[in-house]
Amino acid sequence: MHINWQLRELNLKIVYYGPALSGKTTNIEQIHARIDPAHRSELVSLKTHEDRTLFFDFMQIELGRINSLVPKIHLYTVPGQSYYEASRKLVLRGADGIVFVADSSPERANANLVSWQDMETQLESYDLSINQIPIVLQCNKQDILGALTPAAIKYLLHNYSIPTSTAVAAHGEGVFDTLKMITLNVISSIQKQMVTAQ
Amino acid sequence: MTNPNMKKPIDFPSGVTLFPSQDQAIDRILNELKQKCPAQFVLLAEVSGQIISALGERGEINLVALGSLVAGDLAASQEIARLTDQYQNYQLILREGPKTNTFISEAGPHLVLFVRVDRETPLGWARLIIREASRQLSEVVLTPPEEVAKLDLGLDDEKLSAMFSEGLDGIWKR
Repeated sequence: MHINWQLRELNLKIVYYGPALSGKTTNIEQIHARIDPAHRSELVSLKTHEDRTLFFDFMQIELGRINSLVPKIHLYTVPGQSYYEASRKLVLRGADGIVFVADSSPERANANLVSWQDMETQLESYDLSINQIPIVLQCNKQDILGALTPAAIKYLLHNYSIPTSTAVAAHGEGVFDTLKMITLNVISSIQKQMVTAQ
Repeated sequence: MTNPNMKKPIDFPSGVTLFPSQDQAIDRILNELKQKCPAQFVLLAEVSGQIISALGERGEINLVALGSLVAGDLAASQEIARLTDQYQNYQLILREGPKTNTFISEAGPHLVLFVRVDRETPLGWARLIIREASRQLSEVVLTPPEEVAKLDLGLDDEKLSAMFSEGLDGIWKR
């Protein structure tokens, strides 16, 4: 988070995390396509030749003035493939909130767990636990036959209280609800931090 | 130099808060850097890529994209340095181009500085000026102003949520 009281700007960073091919980039692409161009930046993607995320995807959303502050939300994705662990750690730096994009395909159940544990490890490297940063679980690909239910995914991740959304990001379903959920959770968390800090 | 009598900074888990007096000090440092180098373009961002200030000939550069890439570049460089046991404070990355040279410099734990200079500008001189500016910038951000304003978003949780929710609804094309 970065607040500039001179310019009355509130900058937030939200990171989309999750296993490879779970739909992190698809979420950002859908947001980019559906946000009024006057309120968003270009989409920056650092990809491999195979069109997979190499470092991150990034875009910025600018909301209208809220109580004299202009909120700017920076959205990042991490590369999901296991060997990009170091890059994921870097993208997480300074994050104010995380959307964990889980793949609801039954055969990807273990990949979700591995990625979740990896996220916990990366957060620990910044002295953070999953209870200290707002996280929303997005159960993506709910249109797949035999898709895991949100309850099953939460059971798998041993986390029953996490705010959860369902999505079919490829069709734009649930993308906005997830973005809204994480943004509101981040704002609430920042407000609490400010009150506590005084 | 840190004043021991100064109020303790308000410590957030991440990020940086800039007060108007700090913002003015940053502008002064960046202007001085631009003149002394001399630099064509200077950009200051928070380490997660959020732009704080930009001055000089920006041309068609997309500043938001540049901020995110500069931050990513510095983060990758720091990590490479750490892995190869070469890390030191105020990391500097030099990129030599056909017409201009660019520097990316760590300015303390919170900031990253991007500076573009003409090819004719001696690299050693530019490096010296940029390092000094980076140190000054870091000090400004790490030293809170004497008068710390009341810090909150000015509304209760419920009203803030409603306003953000409305703000997001307003820019979303169904």
